[in-house]
Amino acid sequence: MKAARFDYLRPDDLAGATVALAEGRARPMAGGQSLGPMLNLRLARPGRVVDVSHLPELRRVEARPDGILYGAALTHAEFEDGAVPDPTPGFLARVAHGIAYRAVRNRGTIGGSLAHADPAADWPTALAALGARVHLAGPAETRELAVDEFILGAFETALAPGEIITGVFVPRRSAQARFGYRKSCRKVGEFAEAMCAVLVDRESDVQRLAIGATEARQLVFPAAHDVLRSPARVDDILRDAGLAADPAAFRLRREVVRQAIAALASESQPEGQPA
Amino acid sequence: MKPIRLSVNGRDIEAEVEPRQHLADFVREELLLTGTHLGCEHGVCGACTVLIDGAPARACIAFPVALDGAVITTVEGLVDDPVTERLRKAFMVEHGLQCGFCTPGMLIMARDIVLRRPGADDAAIRHELAGNLCRCTGYIGIIRAIRAVAAERCAAGEAPVVTRGGAVVPPLHVSPLTLPVAPARLSAVGDERLGRGEDVSAASAVFVPEKLRNPVELVQEFEVPAPRAQVWALFQDPAQVIGCLPGARLTAPSDGRTVNAEMLVKLGPIQAAFGGTGVIAADPANWTGTIDGGGVDRRSATRVQARLVYGLDELPGAAATRVRVEVAYVLQGPLAQMSRGALARDLAARLTAAFATHLAALLRGEAAAAQPAPLDAGSLLLSLVKDWVRRLFRRA
Repeated sequence: MKAARFDYLRPDDLAGATVALAEGRARPMAGGQSLGPMLNLRLARPGRVVDVSHLPELRRVEARPDGILYGAALTHAEFEDGAVPDPTPGFLARVAHGIAYRAVRNRGTIGGSLAHADPAADWPTALAALGARVHLAGPAETRELAVDEFILGAFETALAPGEIITGVFVPRRSAQARFGYRKSCRKVGEFAEAMCAVLVDRESDVQRLAIGATEARQLVFPAAHDVLRSPARVDDILRDAGLAADPAAFRLRREVVRQAIAALASESQPEGQPA
Repeated sequence: MKPIRLSVNGRDIEAEVEPRQHLADFVREELLLTGTHLGCEHGVCGACTVLIDGAPARACIAFPVALDGAVITTVEGLVDDPVTERLRKAFMVEHGLQCGFCTPGMLIMARDIVLRRPGADDAAIRHELAGNLCRCTGYIGIIRAIRAVAAERCAAGEAPVVTRGGAVVPPLHVSPLTLPVAPARLSAVGDERLGRGEDVSAASAVFVPEKLRNPVELVQEFEVPAPRAQVWALFQDPAQVIGCLPGARLTAPSDGRTVNAEMLVKLGPIQAAFGGTGVIAADPANWTGTIDGGGVDRRSATRVQARLVYGLDELPGAAATRVRVEVAYVLQGPLAQMSRGALARDLAARLTAAFATHLAALLRGEAAAAQPAPLDAGSLLLSLVKDWVRRLFRRA
């Protein structure tokens, strides 16, 4: 289908973007890989689309002592290709490589993925496990939220009217850090049915676990020491979160979480499918 | 409508686009580059994959309005690309296509895979190709073809290439398949290559009310048995000139500077009645003149913009004149969608030819009274069939 009529604005700077977005029925667009299909299916019918993909603030990379602040409009392909530096031992490239398809990764952006907040998307779960923080700018003020504070539910975020994501800060991890990432899709590139990301950095005693594709906001465990010690605890976590009602889905999620934890040792690639 | 500038297959394009129009519709319907196919239209099937700034992307969820300044390459633009050439052969050898619907997207993606990952194995190729659906082949032949080319590149020691942001060499040949709409209208470089630079500069020196963007262009030359001054005088009378166009008539008396006219065109089930205005400009010193016009068909809301440039050359003996008519037009709207490709060009060519015939007749004093009948698709098709039969016999 074709998109319904909308107006298009491309502000030159961040201030212009926040003003343009403050008007009702306005939606920001960067790569358009999530909004585009929704426009074509007429699921989204914004009166105005505000293109933020060219804003200089959203295209920069700023290395800081404790991590890297990425502009929100950097594409998945730029992470996959290592075109931007990585404060982790290659985790970001691994996650990016498993997102949708290359043709989508060439346009889709890290900030767009977070703003869209699809529960089955890769970045919200992976970045929550990596302890990333979302940088926001609005008409009046700028602020910062942890990924798990920013995402409120399925397709729901803490973004206020006129506010946009300017960047994502990913904390630096030691060379000894391990990252286990698994998702289960019916087909490579499809939306995931189960997803889990685990970060362990013994140097700073960080053990974080995030479960995605929950049809709601991600489950995030910032101190997952006991789960990682005794994998039987995975069942309790899923039950407590109400994700055990359907036996088949429960077994799939359990298996994906277990494999993600096991992958900490093997460091295998994120696109692997559960057996 | 928003103005944009794009490079498509090595040509610079200026256009006005509706924000909601996606790139696949833009290249197919505005530029008539129909090699880009549309399947699901929401980013799943991969049939519409094109290169944006060197990297594959879905044309159905990219909007030209947001691509101002981008470099677009469709499958037509890869006609001379050596990697794609090799892939085309491999697709043929390995039976990498059947109905062909997914093939343009497959070729664009295959090129990206072998460039980025020379030596990729089956698992890697399957992973990379997951976003392109094929309903015929079962993928086996496609994967074999890509593997063969990837292995060749690996054996030849080719390093992985970052396609993102990379340049794609535009086609070398001026093939109609690689060019949007009007093969005659090329960029400045292309014009020199074909020795057409003079025509373009002469045309652009004349007054232009509204610039035509990527028009269809036709040139017709014919001789009339009358002195140049007589032909010139006729061209200064809008009523007579308009009268020579099939289906056209003045709707108001002309002051010699502007014309208000309407023109009937029949195309299959469609009957369009264009009403519009034109501006006449003459350059007696050089025996040339211009008529610029624009109109709308109220029923289909199709818009037409046209420009007619004429030049008169005296033939030896001063008793006859060679008339050169250049017509450029742009159709926008439903009619343009319906009449894509050769049919629209042929209709315009036939209109121009009919104009020449009526003009010659008028100058001979023959058919001055008779108003020429509007062209319709029936007679157009008949002429196409006649041409085809004639060519058939010529070949035999």
